[in-house]
Amino acid sequence: MKKFLLIVFVTVLITTVSSLGIFAQEGAKTIAVIVPPVENPFFGTMQEIAAAKAEELGYKTIKLVHDDDANKQMELFETVIAQGVAAIILDNAGADATVAAVQKAKDAGIGCFLVDREITKEGVAVSQIISNNYQGATILAEYFAELMNEEGKYVELTGKDTDTNAHIRSQGYHDVLDQIPGMEMVAQQTANWSQTEGYSVMETILQQHPDIKGVICGNDTMALGAQAALLTAGRDDVICVGFDGSDDAIESILKGELKATSLQPVAEMATQAAIQADLWIRTGSTGKPEKQSIDMVLITPENADQYEKFAPKPQKKD
Amino acid sequence: MEDKATVSEFSNRDIDIIMRTENVTKVFPGIIALDGVNYNIYRGKINVLVGENGAGKSTLMKILAGNEQCTKGRIILEGEEIHINSPQDAMNYGISIIYQELDLCPNMSIAENIFLGREIVKRGIIENKIQQEHAYKLIHHLEQEMDPNTLVSELRIGAQQIVTIAKALSQDARILVMDEPTSALSTTEVEVLFRVIYELKERGITIIYISHKLDEVLHIGDNITVLRDGHIVAEEVVKNVNIEWVIEKMIGRKLERLFASKRHKIGKVLLQVEDLSLPRVGGGYIVNHVSFNLQEGEILGIYGLKGAGRSEMLECLMGANMLATGKIWLGDKEISNGTILDRIQAGLALVPEDRQRDGLVLTLSVADNMILASLEKYLNRFGLFLVSKKEKNAVHSFIKELSIKVSDPKSIVISLSGGNQQKVVLAKGLLTSPKVLMLDEPTRGIDVGAKHEVFEIMQNLAAQGYGILFVSSELKEILAMSDRILVMSKGKITGEFTKEMATEARLINASVNDK
Amino acid sequence: MREDTSTQKRRLPYFNKTDLLQLFLRGRVFLALIIVSAVFALLSPGFLSVTNIIIISKHVAINALLGIGMTFVILSGGIDLSVGSIVGLSAMIAGGLINEGIQMNTLGIILFPHTWMVIIITLIVGIIMGAINGLVITRFKVAPFIATLGMLYVARGLAGLRNNGYTFSNLVGKPEFGNTGFDRLGAGSFLGVNYSIWIMVVFALVAYFVSKRLPFGRHVYAIGGNRRTAELSGVRVNRTETIVYMISGFCSAMVGLIIASQLVAAHPATGEAFELTAIAAVVLGGTSLMGGRGSIGGTIIGAFVIGVLVDGLVVLGFSTFLQNVIKGIVIVGAIVIDQVQLRIQERIILQKQELNL
Repeated sequence: MKKFLLIVFVTVLITTVSSLGIFAQEGAKTIAVIVPPVENPFFGTMQEIAAAKAEELGYKTIKLVHDDDANKQMELFETVIAQGVAAIILDNAGADATVAAVQKAKDAGIGCFLVDREITKEGVAVSQIISNNYQGATILAEYFAELMNEEGKYVELTGKDTDTNAHIRSQGYHDVLDQIPGMEMVAQQTANWSQTEGYSVMETILQQHPDIKGVICGNDTMALGAQAALLTAGRDDVICVGFDGSDDAIESILKGELKATSLQPVAEMATQAAIQADLWIRTGSTGKPEKQSIDMVLITPENADQYEKFAPKPQKKD
Repeated sequence: MEDKATVSEFSNRDIDIIMRTENVTKVFPGIIALDGVNYNIYRGKINVLVGENGAGKSTLMKILAGNEQCTKGRIILEGEEIHINSPQDAMNYGISIIYQELDLCPNMSIAENIFLGREIVKRGIIENKIQQEHAYKLIHHLEQEMDPNTLVSELRIGAQQIVTIAKALSQDARILVMDEPTSALSTTEVEVLFRVIYELKERGITIIYISHKLDEVLHIGDNITVLRDGHIVAEEVVKNVNIEWVIEKMIGRKLERLFASKRHKIGKVLLQVEDLSLPRVGGGYIVNHVSFNLQEGEILGIYGLKGAGRSEMLECLMGANMLATGKIWLGDKEISNGTILDRIQAGLALVPEDRQRDGLVLTLSVADNMILASLEKYLNRFGLFLVSKKEKNAVHSFIKELSIKVSDPKSIVISLSGGNQQKVVLAKGLLTSPKVLMLDEPTRGIDVGAKHEVFEIMQNLAAQGYGILFVSSELKEILAMSDRILVMSKGKITGEFTKEMATEARLINASVNDK
Repeated sequence: MREDTSTQKRRLPYFNKTDLLQLFLRGRVFLALIIVSAVFALLSPGFLSVTNIIIISKHVAINALLGIGMTFVILSGGIDLSVGSIVGLSAMIAGGLINEGIQMNTLGIILFPHTWMVIIITLIVGIIMGAINGLVITRFKVAPFIATLGMLYVARGLAGLRNNGYTFSNLVGKPEFGNTGFDRLGAGSFLGVNYSIWIMVVFALVAYFVSKRLPFGRHVYAIGGNRRTAELSGVRVNRTETIVYMISGFCSAMVGLIIASQLVAAHPATGEAFELTAIAAVVLGGTSLMGGRGSIGGTIIGAFVIGVLVDGLVVLGFSTFLQNVIKGIVIVGAIVIDQVQLRIQERIILQKQELNL
C-alpha cells in the first residue's frame, strides 16, 4: 500500500516536472515574477506579459504568487534570493509590509522592479512603475457624473480597507464628485475587491436605497458583482462603473451592462518592468527615476472594442 | 467444559435444527468473547440463551445479526453454510434482532421507523399512505392498537418493543432474536409481550430469547442453552430442568473453590458516610440519603439490581459528581467537599465498573495507565519532572505483585486480556497508596482464573488493613467475599447483613424492596 | 500467569513480516521527508545546500511553532482554529507598542516600553487569548471547534480594530525611547542560524520534554485518550485543558512577533489560514485528531515535510494551483497510511492474542 502510494507520488512528481521542462536551462539568468493571486485576470495577465517579455530578452523566469500574504511574500523572496535570481518583478502584498523583503533583495544585490502597487519607502527598489490611479479615478468620476447628468443618488463600493489603492481611488472619485452639488452619495461600503461580496453588498444596498441612479466601484470585479445584482433585481437603469479595464469588464461594456471603466496600463507597466530589469542587469542602471507613473485610459462603449488584455489591440498598435 | 451429553437426546427425538454455529470463535482486543461455540437453534421453538454478564451472549447474537464477524468458525442455515457480513445480509436470510437498547429513531413515527431504510417508494417519492396501512396491519396482527403516525418518542417502552417486533416481521423474519426484551417492561407489559411471543411461535417463527430473569426463561422457553465464559456448557429441554440446574451451569461447579479465604482482622472505622445523596434531574434521588461506615481490613459488599444506584454512590464518594450532598470522613479527615484529586490524595481509590470506558486510557501503554493517578510520586527531587527509573520500579513491582501477564509494560493496554486489563486498573488504584479501595463489579467479563486472582488480591489487601467496598451483582460472589453486606434498591440502603446472617434469599428480597 | 517466560519465548518467532511493515509505517513521516527532500535535491541541484536548508528551516519555524501548540491541543482531544488570528493580533499588539506606545490618557503621557517588554506583553496577550479559549471550553462546555472559531473572528477583528485596518510600518523603534532592536528578532542570527530557527528548536525541545516527562504532558495524553478515566484518576481536566490552549496562544504570539519582526511591519491580516497549515503539520506528524495519540517530534517532521514541499515546488516553478493539489494529496495520503497502520496494529494484537490462547 505504502509502496504503491510512493510510486504513484514520485511518478506524478517526475512526469509533471519533466513535462513542464523546468530542468537543465543552465547559463541563462533568472528573473522572478511575483504577483497577487492570479485568480484575478489582472494579475495573471501582468505576470504573463512580464515573464514573456523577460523570456524574449533571453532570461529564464520563475512565476510565483504571494496570495496577498506579506509573510508568504517574504518567504518567496528568501527562496528566490537563495536560488540566485538576477532580478525580481513584483506586484507587492502591502505597501508597508513589503519594504523588508525588498530591502533583503537589495542587500543580496538583486534589483526589485515594482509594478502596479508602490511601497512606502524610496531608495530600496530600483523602479516603481505604477499606474496613475488618482488620474484614472478622476477621469472615471467625471464620466460617471456626466452619465448621471450631474445629479442623483449614488453608491460607492470600495476595495479592501487595508489597501492603499482603495483609498487613492476613492479619493480621486470624491475629489471630483464632491464638487458637484447634485451628486449625493447615499452609501459607501467595502466589498473587499470581491465579486461575491460586490453582489451581496449591492443586494443589501438596493433594499435600503431603491432610488439610486448609479454605482461607482473601486475595481471591476466588484463592479461585475454589483452589476449582476442589479440585473437580477431588474435594475438595468442603474449606471455601474468599474476600475482596472479587465477583459470581463470590457466584454460587459460591449454588452451594454457596465457603462465604463479605467484601464490599467498593465501591459505597458509589465513590459517596462522587464525591459528596465534587463537594462539594470546589463548596465547597472535603468536611466529612469525610481518612481514612474503611467496614465490610465478611460474605457467607454465607444472605444471598448479597441482594447483587450489590458492593452490596445495589436492592429491598433503603431 | 465439553458438556455435550445432552445433545444426543435431541437428535433422538428428531427435532429439526434450523440454524447452528460450528466452532464459532470471536476475539476482541483483550477479550476472547467466544471460544469454539457450537450453538443449535431449533425450528419453531423458543430457544432460550442464558449466561452471566460477559459470558458472550450478546457477541454471539451480534455475529448472527451480522454486526460482528466471527474470527473462526461457520454458520449453517438450513444445512448450508452462510456468510453474514452485514445486518443487511442477516435480514436477507430472515434473521432479525431486537436489541436491549431498542434501535428506533424517537423523532420519527411508527410507520417511518418500520420502513426505515426500506421505504416504499413510487418514482422516488415515499408512499406515506401505503406505509401507514402496512404498519397498521402489522401492529394489528400483534393484537395491538396504535396510530402509525404516532412519534416513537411518545410511546411507552412496551409499545416501542411491539414496534420493533413489527419492524422485524415486516422484514419477513424467520428467526427473531430478543435480547433482554423484558428488562424495562412492567408486569402487564411483560404479559402482553409473552402473548405476542406465543403468537409468533404459532406462526412458525423461530425465537431466540435471551434473559437474565431465570424464572421468566423457564416459563416461556422450549429449549435452554447455557453459555459460560465464551463456551456452551449445557443444552437441555426446558421442562427437564429447574432454576438450581441453570444456576449451577451458569456459575460452574468449581464455585466454592473460586473464593480464596483468608482470615483478616477488622480494625477501627476508616470511612464514614453520612446522608450521601445525589438528586436526579427531574425529581427524586439516584442516591438517597445513604449512611454507612467501613472498617480497616473489612470487605463491605454492596449488592443490588442494575440501576439501584451503587455505581453512582461510588462516584459520589469519589467526588465525580458535583451535585452530590452529604458528609464523608476518611479517618479523621472530612473530605466531603474535596475534588477527585483531594480524595485520591486522602486515600480513596476507585476501580470503575466499565474498565474500558472509565478505568483505562486505551491509547496509552500498560505502564502509563498504571501510573496515571500517582504521577506526583515519580517526580525528581525538585518536583519538576518525572524520573523514568522511579516509574519503572513502581510498574515492575506491581506487575509482579498482581501477576499481570504482560511481556513489555510499554505495550499498549488493549493488547492485554480482560482479566489483566482489570489488574492494570487495580494497580493504578493501589499505586495511589489508598486506605479505601472501591471495587465496582471487578470480576465482570473476566475469565474464571482471573476472577480467582482478583478475589485473592482482595483478601490479601484486606489482610493488610485496606478497607474494601465491593460492589457486585453476583450473589455467590458477594456472599462468599464480604464480611458485611449492604443491599441497595432505588438509591436507598434497604438491608444490612453480617456474613452470618446473609443468605441469597434475604439479599434478593432486600434488593427488590420498594419502600 | 506465572509463566511470563513462556509467552516471551513464543513471541520471538513472531517477529515477522507484519512487524517489519509496522516499523516501516511508524517511521512513515520521516520516510516521506527523506523522499521529498531527495526528489527535490535530484531535480534542483543546490536544494540541499546549507543556505537553502537554513531558509527552509526558517520558513518551517513559523508553522512548526504553531504546530507545537496545536499538538498539545489536538493531543488533548481539542482543536484550535484561532491560532492564525492570534498571530495577526499579536503582530498588531507588538507593532502598536513599538510605534505608538501605551497612551495613558489620564496622565497625558505616552509610555514606550522597552523592546523586551514589548515581546513579553505580546506573549502575555497571546496567553490570555488562549486562556479565554480554554475557559469558554471548560467552564461553559462549548465545543473547542466552536469556541476557537469564535476566537478566530474576534481576534482577527481586534487585529483590524487596533489600527483601523492599517499596517504598523517601520517597526524599528527610536533610540530616544529605548525601544530599538525589535527587527533583530526576525533578522538576527546566532552561529549563522536565524533566531527564529533557534526559537523553534528550543520550543520543540521544551515541548518534547513537557509532553514526555512532566505530569502535565501525561495528563494531556490521558485526557485525549479517555477524558473520563483521566477525571476519575484525579487529573484536573479543566485546568489542564485551559493550559493547553494557553500554550497554543503563547506559540501563536511568538509567531506573530517573529513575522512582524521579519517584515518590520505589522499587518492585521497576518497569519490568515495559518491554523490550517498548522493542523496539517500536526496530523501529518501522526497525531490523531481524536486525541491521545501523537508526538511533538512527529509534528516538527510534519512541518518540515510541508515546508520542503512548498519551497521545493516554488523553486521548481510549479504553479500555485498545482502546489495546492500536491499539498492536499500528501496530507490525505498521510492520513490514509495512518489508518492502514492502525488496522495493521490491531491485527497484530489479535494475532498475538490468538497465539496466547
